[in-house]
Amino acid sequence: MSEVLNISNLSKIYQKGTIEIPALRDINCEVDKGSYLSIVGKSGSGKSTLLNLIGGLDKPTSGTIQFNEQELGSMTRYQLALHRRFAVGMIFQSFNLIPNRTALENIILPLVFAGIPKRQRKQRATELLDQVGLSERINHLPSELSGGEAQRVAIARAMANEPEMILADEPTGNLDSGTSAEIIDLLVSLNKEKGLTILMVTHDKETAEAVSDSIITLKDGRIV
Amino acid sequence: MNLQEMTIMGFSNLWRTRLRSSLTIIGVVIGIGALTSMVSFGTGLQKNVTDAFRENDLFTSMNVTPKKFNVEEMMGGDVSGLAEMLEGDPEPLTDSILFAIRAMDHVEIAFPEETFAGKLKLNGKEISRSIQPFPAAMRRYSPYNELLAGEFYSSDTSHTVVIRWEALKDLGLIMDYPDLDYTLSKEDSIRGVRIITADSVIGKEIILVTASLNDDFPRNPLSILMKRDFEPFQEQERAYTICGVVNRSGEFSFDRFRGGLMIPEITAREIPRLNFSSIWDILGDSKDEGTYASIYVRVDEMEELTEVRKQIEAMGVGVFAIADQLQEIKRGFLIMDSLLGAIGTIALIIAALGIINTMLMSILERTREIGIMKAVGGSENEIKFIFFIEAACIGFVGAIFGLMLGWVVTRIANQVMNTVILPADQEYLDLFYFPLWLIFGAVAFSIVISLAAGLYPAIRAARIDPVRALRHD
Repeated sequence: MSEVLNISNLSKIYQKGTIEIPALRDINCEVDKGSYLSIVGKSGSGKSTLLNLIGGLDKPTSGTIQFNEQELGSMTRYQLALHRRFAVGMIFQSFNLIPNRTALENIILPLVFAGIPKRQRKQRATELLDQVGLSERINHLPSELSGGEAQRVAIARAMANEPEMILADEPTGNLDSGTSAEIIDLLVSLNKEKGLTILMVTHDKETAEAVSDSIITLKDGRIV
Repeated sequence: MNLQEMTIMGFSNLWRTRLRSSLTIIGVVIGIGALTSMVSFGTGLQKNVTDAFRENDLFTSMNVTPKKFNVEEMMGGDVSGLAEMLEGDPEPLTDSILFAIRAMDHVEIAFPEETFAGKLKLNGKEISRSIQPFPAAMRRYSPYNELLAGEFYSSDTSHTVVIRWEALKDLGLIMDYPDLDYTLSKEDSIRGVRIITADSVIGKEIILVTASLNDDFPRNPLSILMKRDFEPFQEQERAYTICGVVNRSGEFSFDRFRGGLMIPEITAREIPRLNFSSIWDILGDSKDEGTYASIYVRVDEMEELTEVRKQIEAMGVGVFAIADQLQEIKRGFLIMDSLLGAIGTIALIIAALGIINTMLMSILERTREIGIMKAVGGSENEIKFIFFIEAACIGFVGAIFGLMLGWVVTRIANQVMNTVILPADQEYLDLFYFPLWLIFGAVAFSIVISLAAGLYPAIRAARIDPVRALRHD
């Protein structure tokens, strides 16, 4: 399998006044295309920070993140926006759907930024909703959806521009165990059937062990 | 994301916060309404004056006088030393000067502009009016080329005359015309005033009564004192046929200062009349025969006025052309428009502060949404543009409704001014004017002000840290 992500000597230090707060220290790892990698660790271990850096939402203090041999640290803000638009799709614990837009409109949003023509993006968003089993919830607002349904919409949105990698930040953190299993199953099926690379942050080590090809454990910003 | 999609998104975002957006837009509506109504008042006045200039051919006409006027001092308003304003010795306006002017290139017409007093008898009534000998050639020019009724006389020797609408009215005959909005008052009825049709006065006979000195009028004051039962003046009556009626003069019309009756130039020479301005003119015989008080000169093109004027001034006479003052008048209007516009702009600036406030509130509320947009691939420029478009939408919608408000307010104000302030028999006057530049300029100005107001909020929205924004509650 070819390598899609290469992280080398990655550090992230937050500055709060004169105090430096290290979030990640000297992280090194590689991720193969089509693999399922889980990042586990306790709260504050730096899992979400690592995911945000890979997603291009934040910039590292030192070290490199190479995504398909392109260095994220040297990218402009616009190039990082394109990285988030086309290369990765992000899922969050709190779903992060726009509350006053319907399920369909939420999925359409990344397609709008990608410049997909109106008719095509509606068709694509409808197909994605169908794939995650929510074709009947097309015009429902997030407030009218259950947690599991909202996360499915978020997954559909993450897949909108056919990214190579899905970055899932505690995708089951707000869900009950039954719904969590359904979401994990959906991510696994995307990984197995569509060959999507999945990077999942979780504190549920059991689930991570059950579904992942490899696991990284973080403690105080370091891989242990 | 293209402009159309960003516009749709901008409108839909505003629609989501309808109440707040509406209140902000109302601020812009008031600002634009105030700005346009004030500027339209300035442009309305300017239009009325420049239209009057054009209608009265003031851009192509001038008056030649025996003495040079110091116009700047006159325009300064101080008339205490009027005598000093007249520079040098007077140069009598003789026939030779008149013919020399007529011979100049680009001079279309030149004639002595003199009036004399007379009485008009018609419809059993008699009024005093100034009578103006006028060449038939003036029939080519406004307002004499389109009379209210009949036609301007075509010969300088004919015994036909043209009367003014106002003179007819004073003779108890109100001539009807399509836009006339006149209701006979009780006083009118007592005076026997009646409304007549346009053509009913044409062909009617009018009597002109003029006074002249008795032939045996002594030139020596002592002889006057020694004479008993001496009648210095004698009256003569002459009948003429009315061939035309000049339309009612507008409020800004300069033509209204001309005589109430126009009579062919050569025909007028036969009329005995008093031709003096003071007792010394009679006793001192200072008024030379064959000289004129003023000569009206008209050139063919507006651009030729200055050159012809220079040539006439070279003859040592004075020339007064109102067109010369146009630049001064225009500057005055520009200052007035600027002041009115500044007051309106203040209202718009207050509205702009409202826009800034609304946009900043909106950003605060939509911080998480901005984070989501960034997380799914929205670039800083796109997010900036979305907020820009929202600001522009506020400006555009505000401008459209503001223009409507301005129009309605000016219509009401115009109606009030016409019915309450201006005299009842005054022709309806449009005091406000909305030229195309004002309409499009107001929309553009509103959008520019709104964009300027949206600049800081938009930059702030674009710079939001997505990681923090996604955690924002």
